[in-house]
Amino acid sequence: MKAISAQSDDLIIDQFEPPLIEGKPTFHSLTDEISGITERRTPPVWFLAFGAAFSVLLILLGSIGYLVYTGIGIWGLNIPVGWGWAIVNFVWWVGIGHAGTLISAILFLLRQRWRTSINRFAEAMTLFAISCALLFPAIHVGRIWVVYWVFPIPNQMTVWPNFRSPLLWDVFAVSVYFSASLLFWFTGLIPDLATLRDRAKNRIRKIVFGILSLGWRGGNRQWKHYELAYLILAGISTPLVLSVHSVVSTDFAVSILPGWHTTIFPPYFVAGAIFSGFAMVVTLTIIARKIFHLEHIITLNHLEKMNKIMLLTGMMVGYSYSIEFFMSWYSGNIYEQFAFLNRAFGNYSWAYWIMISCNVLVPQLFWFKKLRRNVVVMFIASILVNVGMWFERFVIVVSSLSRDFLPASWDYYRPTFWDVSIFVGSFGLFFTLFLLFIRFLPMISMTEVKGVLPQADPHYTGGGHKK
Amino acid sequence: MKMKKKYLINGKKYWQSLDQLANTPEYRKFLKEQYQEITEESLSGISRRKFLGLMAASLAMASLAGCRKPIEKIVPYVIQPEEIIPGVADFYATTMPFGNSAFGLVVECHEGRPTKIEGNKDHPSTMGASNTLIQAQMLSLYDPDRSQKVQHNSAEDDYANFISFWRDRLEHFKSTKGRGLAILAEPFSSPTLARHRKDLLKMLPEANWITYEPISDENIYAAAENVTGENVRPVYDFAKAKIILALDSDFMYSESENIASARGFADGRRLENEHDGMNRLYVVEDAYSITGGMADHRLRVRSSEIGDFLIALASELKANGIYLEGFQFDSQNKFDSKWINAVAKDLINSRGKSIIVAGRRQPVWVHELVFSINDTLGNSGNTLEFQEFKDATLSSAKDLKLLASQMADGSIDTLVILGGNPVYDSPVDLNFIEAIHKVQHAVHLSSYVDETSRLAEWHIPRAHFLESWGDARAIDGTISVVQPMIEPLYGGHPDTELYALLATGRDIRGYDTVRETWKGFLDRGDFEKEWRRVLHDGLLKNSSTGNKNIRIRKSINDIVSSGNLRTNEVSADNLDINFYPSQLHDGRFANNGWLQELPDPVTKLAWDNAAVVSPKTAEMLKVKNFELAELQYNGRKLTLPVWIVPGQADYSVGLALGYGRAKVGRVAEGVGFNTYKLRTSQTPYAAAGAKLIPTGEIYELANTQDHFSMENRPIIREASLDEFQYDPEFAREMVEHPPLESIYPDYDYSKGYQWGMVIDLNTCIGCNACVIACQSENNIPLVGKEQVGKGREMHWIRNDRYFSGDLDAPEMMHMPVACQHCENAPCESVCPVGATMHDKEGLNVMTYNRCIGTRYCSNNCPFKVRRFNFFNYVKDMPEVVKMAQNPDVTVRSRGVMEKCTFCIQRINRAKQNARKAGRPVHDGEFQTACQQACPTNAIHFGNINDLKSRVANLKRDPRNYDLLGELNIRPRNSYLAKIRNQNPALKDYKPKVV
Repeated sequence: MKAISAQSDDLIIDQFEPPLIEGKPTFHSLTDEISGITERRTPPVWFLAFGAAFSVLLILLGSIGYLVYTGIGIWGLNIPVGWGWAIVNFVWWVGIGHAGTLISAILFLLRQRWRTSINRFAEAMTLFAISCALLFPAIHVGRIWVVYWVFPIPNQMTVWPNFRSPLLWDVFAVSVYFSASLLFWFTGLIPDLATLRDRAKNRIRKIVFGILSLGWRGGNRQWKHYELAYLILAGISTPLVLSVHSVVSTDFAVSILPGWHTTIFPPYFVAGAIFSGFAMVVTLTIIARKIFHLEHIITLNHLEKMNKIMLLTGMMVGYSYSIEFFMSWYSGNIYEQFAFLNRAFGNYSWAYWIMISCNVLVPQLFWFKKLRRNVVVMFIASILVNVGMWFERFVIVVSSLSRDFLPASWDYYRPTFWDVSIFVGSFGLFFTLFLLFIRFLPMISMTEVKGVLPQADPHYTGGGHKK
Repeated sequence: MKMKKKYLINGKKYWQSLDQLANTPEYRKFLKEQYQEITEESLSGISRRKFLGLMAASLAMASLAGCRKPIEKIVPYVIQPEEIIPGVADFYATTMPFGNSAFGLVVECHEGRPTKIEGNKDHPSTMGASNTLIQAQMLSLYDPDRSQKVQHNSAEDDYANFISFWRDRLEHFKSTKGRGLAILAEPFSSPTLARHRKDLLKMLPEANWITYEPISDENIYAAAENVTGENVRPVYDFAKAKIILALDSDFMYSESENIASARGFADGRRLENEHDGMNRLYVVEDAYSITGGMADHRLRVRSSEIGDFLIALASELKANGIYLEGFQFDSQNKFDSKWINAVAKDLINSRGKSIIVAGRRQPVWVHELVFSINDTLGNSGNTLEFQEFKDATLSSAKDLKLLASQMADGSIDTLVILGGNPVYDSPVDLNFIEAIHKVQHAVHLSSYVDETSRLAEWHIPRAHFLESWGDARAIDGTISVVQPMIEPLYGGHPDTELYALLATGRDIRGYDTVRETWKGFLDRGDFEKEWRRVLHDGLLKNSSTGNKNIRIRKSINDIVSSGNLRTNEVSADNLDINFYPSQLHDGRFANNGWLQELPDPVTKLAWDNAAVVSPKTAEMLKVKNFELAELQYNGRKLTLPVWIVPGQADYSVGLALGYGRAKVGRVAEGVGFNTYKLRTSQTPYAAAGAKLIPTGEIYELANTQDHFSMENRPIIREASLDEFQYDPEFAREMVEHPPLESIYPDYDYSKGYQWGMVIDLNTCIGCNACVIACQSENNIPLVGKEQVGKGREMHWIRNDRYFSGDLDAPEMMHMPVACQHCENAPCESVCPVGATMHDKEGLNVMTYNRCIGTRYCSNNCPFKVRRFNFFNYVKDMPEVVKMAQNPDVTVRSRGVMEKCTFCIQRINRAKQNARKAGRPVHDGEFQTACQQACPTNAIHFGNINDLKSRVANLKRDPRNYDLLGELNIRPRNSYLAKIRNQNPALKDYKPKVV
C-alpha cells in the first residue's frame, strides 16, 4: 500500500503504517469539519431524506396500529408456519446490529486503529438496528397488551416466566445487548459532546450538550477514568457480541423442528450477523462519506478492510450451509434429510438459491483487490449481502416450518401487504433515527480519529500544533 | 365474629392469648375437621410461626363457615324451573328423522338449552354414535338465518290466516274429492305422519301425494319390492359378514344407515390379537369414497359400468359352480379376470357369511341382481334380512316427473310442499320453476326462505326436529319418539302439526297428535306410565318388526335382460359425470357452517365443491387443480373448478351435490357450484356424454391438506394380515432409534389417574364425526373459507388423508390427529410464559388467560395440532348461536393458542361425580366427545394407570405404536396399526384398469 501523500515529514510513520486519515488534516480542521456538520444550517437534502424516512416510519406506525386493532391474522401466517416475516426481520435486524459493537469493542481490544473512523457510525447503526429488531418480537405476539409477561416482574399472581424457554433467553440477551451498546456508545460520545458544547453558539445547544457531556472538561484525570471506563465497557461488550446471536439462534436450535434443531446454529448465526452487520455499515458509510465529503476520513482503506471481513464471514456462512447438509445426511434422520433437501429443491428453493447467490457467491468478488476497492461494486455487493442474509433467515424460519414431520399438515406461507408494510416501515424507523443522529451528533468520533493522526504521536515532529 | 359466651371468662374479657383460644375443645374439634391431616402435628409441638399461620387460616375459615348460606337463596331463581339444577346438564332422548331413517339421540341440555347431541345407545340406528350430519344439527337449530315468519306472497303474515286459507281449500277439495290438490312431501317413516297422510287421502281420494328427495334409496326399495313382491327394506348385518363386496356403495358414510353399517363393519374387522380373524372388503367404485379407503382390494370402475361388472361376477360365480337359475350371459368382459375370480371364490367360500351391497346411486336392476346373488349365496336371513317397511313413504322420481307435467298443464290447483326444495334440487329437465308458476296456490313448509319459498304463495317456517314433537321408525321398525328440547326458537311449525292441519283442518299440537298415534302402540297397561318410559328411552323397546322371510321371485335372466348395459365407449369427448351427496347432503344443510368448513374426507376441500377427476383424466384433458373448467352435458353448461384425486375412475367426473345455493342464508351464500343444473331425471346419478373444457382461469379452493403422500415416513403403519400374524410387533419395529433418554428426571406418573387415548387405525374410517363432535363440545369457532384457505382452520382433531401405492391403484388411509398430550411435550418447554403445562394426570393443558400468543408451541409441535386465534373469531357470532356453546368450555379470545384438552371438562365432571360417591372413576364411565361420536368405536380413552381398563389393555396390544415416538416426546395418544386383509390370490396385485 503506497501512501498517497508521502512527504519527508511522515516517512518514519509511513514505514509502519500508511496514514489512516488522508489529506493531512489538523486537529482543528477535523473538529471543524465533523462538528460543522451538526452546526451548519440543515442542508435541503437532509430534509428530503428525513421526509422520506419519516413517511415510511408513518407506514410502520399505521400498520402496527392496524395490527393491534385487528390481530396478527393480517399477516400471512398459518398453522404450520407460525412465524413469518416478523421473526425473519427480527433476526435480520439483530444481526445487522452486530457490526457496531464488534467494531467498537473487539477491534478496540485488538488495537485495530482503523476502526476509529467508522466506529461511532457503526455503533449508532447498531442501536437503531436493535431498536428495529426489538419492535418485532413485541408486536408479533397474539396479545400485544400482555407482552410484558415475558419479564420476570413480581406480580400478585406469583407467576414467573418459563426460564426454560429460549424466547425468554432472547428477552434477556437482546435487552442486555441493547443497554450495553447504548452505554458504550454514549461513553464514547462524551468528549465529542463536550466539544460541541464548547463550540455552541446558541443557548439551547449549550444547555443540551452541557447536560449530555456530563461536565467533561478534558482534564487528565477525566481522560484517565474515561479511557479505563471505555476499556472496561469494551471488555463487557465483547462477549455480548458473541452471545446475542448465539442466544437468538437458540430460538431455533432448542426446538425439535428439522432444519432448526442443529447445534451449529450459534457460531453460524454469529458469523452471519457480523457478515450482515459489516455489509450494512459499508452501505451506509458509502452514502454518508459521499454526501458529507468525508472520503479522506473514511478512506478506501477502511472500506477495503470491511470488505475483507465480509469475505471471511461470508465464507464461514457458506461453510455452515454445507456442513448443515453434511450433518443432515450423516445423521441418518429422515426428517433432517428431507428438511435440507426441501430447502434446496422444495417449495421455497427460490429463496434458498437467492440466499446462496447473495451470501456465498457475491462475497467471492472481494478476492480481487480491484473490486474490493471499487465503491460501486462494494455498494451493490453489500446490499446483496443483506438481501441474502434476509433470505437466509427466511429460509430457516419459513421453509423448515412449512414442511415438517407430518406431510398432512404441510402448508405454504405467503406474505401479505401487512407483512411487507411493517418490514418496509422498519426501515423508516431506522433511517429516521439515523438521520437524526447524523444531523445532531458527531457521526465520526473526533476524539478517536485525532488519536490516530500522525500529530498525536508524541514523537511527531512535522506539524500539528506547531503549524 | 361474635364469641360465644362460654369462651368468655367472667363477662366481657379479652383473650389472654391466642393459645388460650387454641386450647378450647371446640377449637380442637374444629381444627380436626378442617385440617385432618395436620391436626396431630398442630396440637403437639408446633413452631410458633406455623401456629400463627394456621390460626389465621382457621379463623378466616371459621368466620366464613359462620356466614355460609344455602346457595339457592343467594342466587335464587325468581321462579324455580322444574328439574333444572344450574350448572348441571340434563340429558333427554329424542330422534332425528332423516329420509326413511331415524337416528335415536340423546341431547345434552344446559338450563333448558340443548348444547350437544349424542347417539342413543339403545337405538338400532345410532348405537350411541353419530355422524357429521347429526352432530351439526346443534348449529342448525340455532341458525339465525332460519325462517322466522309465515309469509304470504313474500309478505309477513299470520299462521292463523294460513289456517283459514287451508280450511277454505279443504272445503273446496272436499267437493272435488281432492282433484287438483298435490302434496309434495319428503319421505318419512313415521306412524303419526303416515296416519295423517292416510286420513287425508281417505278424505280426498283423488288428491295426489308425491314423495321426493333428490338423494334417496328409491332404487334399492324398488328392487327389493320387485324381487320379493313385498314392501320390505333390506337390512344388512355387516358384523356377521366375512366377505363384503361393495359396489359403488359408500355404506360407511354417505349411504343411509351409515352408522349401523360402519359399526357392523368395524366389529367384523376389529382385531384383539394376531390370532383374531377379520373381514375382507372388496370395493368396486368410481370416485374414491371412505368405504373405498377401507377396502382390502379396490377396483376403479366407472359407476355406469357397475352393472357390467356385476354380470361379469355372476358369470364367474357360475363358472365356479354356483347355480344361478336361468343365468345365461356371455362371460366375455373387459374387467380384470384374476380380480373377479378371486372375489368370486371368496364369496363362494363364505356362503351365508358374505354381503354384496350396491349403492343407492345404482339403477334398480343392479339392486335386483344384488339381492338375487345374495340370496343364491345363502346370505338372505343371515347377513341380509328383509324387514317390513311400515308407516313410510318412498321417494319417487317418476311421480315427481308426473307432478311436474301436471303442474305445467295447469291441472294442479294447490301444491303443498312439505319440506324439500324442489326449485333448487329437482331434476333440471322438469322445469320446476316454470311449473310452479302455473299452480294457483303453492304452500311451502321449509326451514329457510329458500329458492322454493320465494316462488310459493305461502311460506310456513318449519320447526327443527329438536323443537318438534314427532315419531319415526328406525330401519328395523323400532318406533322412536321425537321430543322437543326447546320451544321453537323462531316460531317454526313441526311437521306433525302441519300434517295434522292438512288432514283435519284443525290446529292440533304436535304433542297431542303424537300421543294420539302412540295410544295404538301403548295399549297394554297404563298409557301414561308407558309413555313416560318411551320419552325416557326415546324409543319403544322391542318394537322391531323383525326379519321377514322372503323369496326371490324374479329370475336372474329377467333381471339381466331388463338391465341396460353400457354400450358406448368413454373418451375425452364422452366423459361420465357422477352426482354424489356432499358434506351438506343434498344441500339442505348448506347454511350450516360446521359442515361447510369440514374438509371433505377424500378431497379435503372445504367451503366448495369441484369437478373431481383422476390424474390421468386431468392429464388427458390438460386441466390443472384450481382451474375453472366448463362442464357440458346434454346442452347444459356449468363452470366449476377442477380437483384431481387419485383413485377416481378415469374418464369420470365426480360432482358433489348441495352447493351453489341462492340466497338461503349468510353461510351458504355464494359457496360452491350448483351441480343440480346438470342433473336430469333420466340420469340422476351417473350420466355419459359430458365434456370438460378447461378455461385457463384460476379459482381459489380452500383445501386443508396439500400433500397426498406420507413421503415414506412411518406415519400410518400398515401391514397385511399375514405379515401381522408373522410379526405382531411390526408397527413398533418400523422405526429404529437410539435409546430415548431425557436430561430431566421423570415425573412420577404412577399414582392417580393417568389419561390416555388409543386410536385404532384398523377401524377408523375417516368419517369426520369426531371432528364435528369436538367442534360442538369445545366451542370451536368457524373461520370461513378465506381463513381455511390460508391454513387457519381451528379443528382440534383433524383427519389426515394419505394415498399410497401406485397412482393407478392407490390406497387411501385416514388418521385422526389431535393433541397427543406428550409426556415430554415440546410445546411446554418453549412457551416463555408457561401458558402450556403438564398436569399431574398427564394432560398437556393450556392456560388461555396466560397465553400471550408467541406461537412457538405450535412451531415446536411435531403434529401441528395446535390452533391459533389469528383474529377474534367469535366476535361476529350471532347472539343466538352463542346458545349452542358449551358452558363448561371457555370461549377463546383473539391471540391465544388452543388445542385438544382430552375433553377435560368431561374428565372433571366424571371425577366430581366419583368423588361425591366416594369411588374412583370407572373405566368407560365417561367418554371424550370424539370417542362418543365415533361410529366404529375406533377411539378409546381412559385411565392408563388402571391396568384393567380398555385403554391400558390396548396400549399393550402388539399393534400399538406412538406416532413420532422416536422424537422422545412420549405421546399419551397412541395408534393401533392398520391391517389389510388381503386375499392371498391378489397379494399386492395391481388390477387392470378399465
